[in-house]
Amino acid sequence: MADEIAIRITVNGTVHERKVEPRLLLADFLRHELGLTGTHLGCEHGVCGACTVLVDGASARSCLLFAAQVDGARITTVEGLARGGAPQPIHDAFHEHHALQCGYCTPGFLVAVHELLADNPEPTEAEVRDALSGNLCRCTGYVNILAAVLDAASRLRASGQRPALR
Amino acid sequence: MAHETTRGWVGRRALRIEDDKLLKGRGIFADDLHLAGLLHLTFVRSPHAHARIRAIRTERAAAVRGVVAVFTGHDLAARCKPIYVDVIFPSYKAPSRPVVAVDVVKFVGEAVAVVVAESRYVGEDAADLVEVDYEPLRAVVDVEAALDPAAGVVHPDLGDNVLFKGKFATDKFDAAFASGDLVLRERFRSTRVAGVPLEPRGCVAAVEPGRGTLTFWSSTQIPHMLRTAIADLVNVPGLSEAKIRVITPEVGGGFGTKAHVYPEELVTAALALELGRPVKYTQDRREELLTDIHARDHIYDVDVAVGRDGVLKAVRTRILTNAGAFPSLPFGCTLEPTGGARMLPGPYRLRNYAYETYAIATNTGPSGAYRGVAQPTCFMAIEGMMDRIGRALGIDPAEVRLRNLVQPEEMPYVNVVGVRYDTGSYVAALRRALELVDYEGFRTQQASGQPRDGKYRGIGIACFTEVSGTGAPGFRARGLKRIPGFDSALLKVEPTGAVTCVLSTAGAGQGHETTFAQLIADELGVPMDVVTILEGDTTGGPYGSGTFASRSVVTGGGAIVRAGAKLKAKMARIAGHLLEASAPDIVFENGLAFVRGMPGAKVTLREIAENAYSMSSKGLPPDEDYGLEATDYYDPPLVTMANATHIAAVAVDPRKGGIEIERYVVVHDCGRVINPMIVEGQIHGGCAQGIGQAVLEAMVYDADGQCRTASFMDYLLPTIKDVPAMIVDHIESPSIDAAGGFKGVGEGGVIGAVPALTNAVADALAALGANVNSTPLTPDRVLAFIESAAQSRSAGR
Amino acid sequence: MKPARFDYVAPRTLDEVLARLAEFGDDAKLLAGGQSLVPAMNMRLARPKVLIDLGRVPDVDDIRADNGTLVLGALVRQRAAERSELVHRETPLLAQALPFIGHPTIRNRGTVGGSLAHADPAAELPAVVAALDGDLVVASAKGRRVVKPSAFFASYLTTTLEPHEMLLEVRLPRATATSRFAFVEFSRRHGDFALVGVAVALDVDATNVCRAARVALVGVGPGPVHATQAERSLAGRAVSDPVIREAAESASKEIDPQTDIHATSHYRRRLAAALVEDAVRQALGGKH
Repeated sequence: MADEIAIRITVNGTVHERKVEPRLLLADFLRHELGLTGTHLGCEHGVCGACTVLVDGASARSCLLFAAQVDGARITTVEGLARGGAPQPIHDAFHEHHALQCGYCTPGFLVAVHELLADNPEPTEAEVRDALSGNLCRCTGYVNILAAVLDAASRLRASGQRPALR
Repeated sequence: MAHETTRGWVGRRALRIEDDKLLKGRGIFADDLHLAGLLHLTFVRSPHAHARIRAIRTERAAAVRGVVAVFTGHDLAARCKPIYVDVIFPSYKAPSRPVVAVDVVKFVGEAVAVVVAESRYVGEDAADLVEVDYEPLRAVVDVEAALDPAAGVVHPDLGDNVLFKGKFATDKFDAAFASGDLVLRERFRSTRVAGVPLEPRGCVAAVEPGRGTLTFWSSTQIPHMLRTAIADLVNVPGLSEAKIRVITPEVGGGFGTKAHVYPEELVTAALALELGRPVKYTQDRREELLTDIHARDHIYDVDVAVGRDGVLKAVRTRILTNAGAFPSLPFGCTLEPTGGARMLPGPYRLRNYAYETYAIATNTGPSGAYRGVAQPTCFMAIEGMMDRIGRALGIDPAEVRLRNLVQPEEMPYVNVVGVRYDTGSYVAALRRALELVDYEGFRTQQASGQPRDGKYRGIGIACFTEVSGTGAPGFRARGLKRIPGFDSALLKVEPTGAVTCVLSTAGAGQGHETTFAQLIADELGVPMDVVTILEGDTTGGPYGSGTFASRSVVTGGGAIVRAGAKLKAKMARIAGHLLEASAPDIVFENGLAFVRGMPGAKVTLREIAENAYSMSSKGLPPDEDYGLEATDYYDPPLVTMANATHIAAVAVDPRKGGIEIERYVVVHDCGRVINPMIVEGQIHGGCAQGIGQAVLEAMVYDADGQCRTASFMDYLLPTIKDVPAMIVDHIESPSIDAAGGFKGVGEGGVIGAVPALTNAVADALAALGANVNSTPLTPDRVLAFIESAAQSRSAGR
Repeated sequence: MKPARFDYVAPRTLDEVLARLAEFGDDAKLLAGGQSLVPAMNMRLARPKVLIDLGRVPDVDDIRADNGTLVLGALVRQRAAERSELVHRETPLLAQALPFIGHPTIRNRGTVGGSLAHADPAAELPAVVAALDGDLVVASAKGRRVVKPSAFFASYLTTTLEPHEMLLEVRLPRATATSRFAFVEFSRRHGDFALVGVAVALDVDATNVCRAARVALVGVGPGPVHATQAERSLAGRAVSDPVIREAAESASKEIDPQTDIHATSHYRRRLAAALVEDAVRQALGGKH
């Protein structure tokens, strides 16, 4: 069996072919192999959510995936959301509601919110809380994040947009 | 002020300049930094709370492919001086701490060796192969047990575990205490918690070949003090501060944990200098929980003597604080015991006060300054007593407070330990909070037993004063000689007319770039978008303390106001010279200088700057120097005292012990509010941490000193489901002592939430006779409070 | 927190998986959702020499109805089960339990089989399978065997799976017109492992008499625990308030929970009583 595995991963629309150690975590592959440092590591045991990315359109903890495991997959990181993957209303709502302070948890939240609003364009407050209970923030106390998400949802509905999960 | 300015930015909910890069994932945090040839550090850490190191063998580790070197504590002792935290206080005694343990380890997680490798993966492989022969020793863990040296002494050379003891009593205290109509006693117990920023600590050190300058990036709140520590403690000849540059990248939360100098930072600097390659250390979450400073493992024994009317006659307290295994640099271990003791009188008119307060060493993680320091616990104590006074005397707890609060006409007020409260709104904040929470409505409902859903409902009040903006005299009063106390601002107009301000403060998410730009815009009469705030580069500007203890708007803001005045005076002189008017007649608005009463006569800030930099057709005014900048070092008075009232209403489920927060109100007074949106964000975040301490968080050490909560599965942070909607209201009582009138706000949320919630639960269960006096109020403890009350009742009490 | 080295294989067929298991046995671990395994590997608490990735194996993630049972392949993602019409209709107890597992992101990857094979004593799915007395189908290179939950869950984080075996699918009885179900739990925070969880499956006739009762608890023992005395106290009786309370008290007396940093043994007993009561009421409350 090999020291390194050849993989082909599409990240934010760009195909990357690399050889990786089997144990290289997807988060480290994204951050250090590809230089996409927007995905953050907060715990490396799947609890804090800062490392959340989209894998084939579904949110996943990149600290709990090996790069080798997602050979052939399409990954979207926060950088990909910013590059036209996410409708601007989510970004704007976070900004206008002061839903971030240090910004460390923010990428994980943006991915989770993106998925939430793609699945459920009109979430209730309780549904937003349930959907985001797996993302920890230590700065904001969540009050403004909740307001931002509800506002983003209503702006998206008003403009007829819906986040795409790719 | 001699000159008029555009008022318009201070007080606005200006959106943050910081956000765009963070929302796009383009913020660069310490672990995001990459340099060619980077080496990674992995520390080998003690699994024992107290043990002798009999032998340590590193050959197998060093042989792993990708490992460059392995260093033991003995090796590093030659490269880094030990850390000794110097606090000037009689009775203070402190151990010396090697950066990596040499002969003995004193807490679980203390480093015993470090691996330098091509990656963290390889480093951990090698760390697994470092062989250490430990001889376990008895560990002393409990703060009260450690008072007795027979339980075990953490630092035998110090004799016992009492690292600090403070004592105070007002004149004729005993007589005053005896004059009370009623004496109440209580013991309040707070379980250890930690700040837990979401970004684990990290640093990168790189040495420039040739000049040998060390650039040190660190996720720190104290870049200047860190630079001094590196110069002092890293043992490389010729390494002075001139050769050290500390830069803070984006910092993912600090809350005080990152306002300390850690041994790993010194090791990283030393090894980069030695190995000639850049070196990075990023801690993982387990290391963060084990080795970042802990806080609030406190016991307060409080006795109060009151009159029949509920007015305090005298208060006595004995405070035990767990210092952990070592004092932390630069705060030592006196911050919590002195803070708790000095702040306990709070906003109350108390003239007879006595305390004994201790910092006690144990074989646990070192303690330090975490947001609020000892205020969440001392207010849990005094506010808990105010409620008990009410219950004992049949007086509503809000009324008890109103009878004891310092009244507006008594301000400025010097409290019983000599702390001056210059301005404040203690009564107004309480009244407003009572109104916003509908206190009367709640009490009516509570009395009627509605709603009948089987839950017990209670309401808890926390009125408190909040230390902010501590200056040099304030730190000296607490013996903290290593903390400068001042901060600085270098404010300049560039040749293009842009405005730059370099501050010695160092934000970690609080929105300094935006807040200070708003202030400068008003002070100089320029649009906000021409102002750039620079923080976190020791090469860029003058020295200062950094950001912690709710200081930056007081010290940084004060320095800006004072530097702004000097700079504006020069701007006016040059504008007058250009417009052939006299300086006092110049008015600044929106980046333009006008002659008062002559709107046609104007000149731009750029034109003024060009003159100052000798890039215009006209020379400088006579007797004027080139350049257009001003520097101010601002040292505020002892402290400035913010204040707030928090009120929480809870529903307690007696079947499962769950607590739901049904109403939460904060009325906060931080003097002049620059950006209400950012202030509210600080309060929300602080309240969330207070909720965490009150019901979720506990850093648990077992009897052997093993930490049982070293992961996020066991150390439980509040989630979005745990923080309720909140009403936040502001009152502004500008400081009359601090330049600019500012007071801090960063810590208020957590200081108020802990007592408000413990009081609310206590109120909910009071009718059962339960005595709620500790945190966290986990479901099993809540049930235990209820059951023990039931047992007491049936025993016929 | 980086994992130790391992060899990685990603078989493309079930037979190849089983052959690898036979070859490596104890040295190998199966990677399904990874939501429990990878944290342990990152902390170096688990150090398999070989990781067998099930992610490329076809036909192990089906949900299908088969006579009186609902069959779920081991690799069915928890989120897929949560969204499955079949699951909601045929195994409402499973549908009720799934949203309690972690958070949506965890459920996107976590699998039904993985959770069962991991056998955390506070996990939701073992309670469901025990309450329904489903069949666990175990595969190896030597063939298949069917195991009942009581013979599958051995102890904390331990099943009776041999090193060369893999959980292939779980078969759950389909709901009938008279079956009533409820899953309830209480945890420190939403999505955490339960302090105590209760899965109740009742068969109640038109006269409100409980013909059969199964009450399974998690968080109170090394694996899912049947509250057999509570079950007996419900079976054959008309379900009324006193009967429910009696069953709840029974359950709390017959379990032997541990004390840990999150809850005392005594508390878990009280909580178990409250939750058994809630679960039975909820099951009877018309929720099918």
